[in-house]
Amino acid sequence: MPVVDLPHTRIHLQEMNKGAAETVLMVHGMFTNLSIWYFNIAPILAERYHVVLYDLKGHGMSGRSQHGYDLQSMSDELLALMDALQLTSVYLAGYSYGGLIALKTAIRHPEKIKKLAVIESPNPYEQETMNVVDVYSKELLVHFVNGQGDHSPAKMGKRQLERRHRLYEFLLKESTIRQDMQQERHFFSNGGIKDIPHETLLIYGKDSDCVSAGLELQEKIKDARLLFVNGDHNIPVQEPFTIGNALKDFFYTQE
Amino acid sequence: MDQLTQPAKLSEAEILPVLKQFITEVIGEEFVEDLDITAASSFTKDLEMDSIEIVAFSEKVKNHFGKDIDFTGWLSNMDLDQIISLNLGDITKYIQSCL
Repeated sequence: MPVVDLPHTRIHLQEMNKGAAETVLMVHGMFTNLSIWYFNIAPILAERYHVVLYDLKGHGMSGRSQHGYDLQSMSDELLALMDALQLTSVYLAGYSYGGLIALKTAIRHPEKIKKLAVIESPNPYEQETMNVVDVYSKELLVHFVNGQGDHSPAKMGKRQLERRHRLYEFLLKESTIRQDMQQERHFFSNGGIKDIPHETLLIYGKDSDCVSAGLELQEKIKDARLLFVNGDHNIPVQEPFTIGNALKDFFYTQE
Repeated sequence: MDQLTQPAKLSEAEILPVLKQFITEVIGEEFVEDLDITAASSFTKDLEMDSIEIVAFSEKVKNHFGKDIDFTGWLSNMDLDQIISLNLGDITKYIQSCL
């Protein structure tokens, strides 16, 4: 299993098309893992780019961490990973909370980002939406685990139930993830986002609770385009081929 | 178990134990003891594997059977529902088709 040891955590990553000249770095959301990209979206991008996927700390196969789930720390983790992989600049894509991490990184280090893609990121001020996002994420895991075409909860095997239970128990009860996410509630209004210079693609589900966040980001970011696709917050699972191709076209720069 | 192996030399009966070994490494020996792993076993319904475990399994298949088998490329043509309902027989047949 490929891992990179960062100062505080061991990070699991997957790379595709390693020899390509340019890199797309992809950040998943809270309570999911890199598999949200791995099977469909990343291989489309890997037709042209070196693709790097990683599990955020506390998620997937990365190490656990009790602290540091705020955007500054998560952005530090992303930047440390780039340094470890000797990536000076990347095309950056983030889903849900991962999109907020991508935005934060673009604000702090615009020179390290070539273009920015934000998929279904909520406005952290809308805590209700954040909660809905949590629920969606849990359903998404159930969806992955059970292979259900619809999103109805279905029975899960004992081992998976225990795995899920341990993950949520740890993240929600033993780590600071809740408080860390809450402290970001003014992220959209604190400034910074309006100074993002990058060409930015915003991708949102037509039926998502996060649509208003997409509209707000479109208004704040000077060079942003908003793309709606069929579905709700789960669009990476519902429309992976649409999203993969939209990202590939967006990142492509004509020389 | 991750050393490169020439698939041309392997039959279905030889591939299946290798896949079983990978599943054991991914989900843990204590859970495999309770499972009857056969060619008909599917990732989620029978083996209770979730998507990140399927990623780990895929990586082992790629490392073991080598670049002639584009396992991730094969999976990328399927949607997630198809991937997680794959069984070990499907994967064995795919590996053999690359011979």
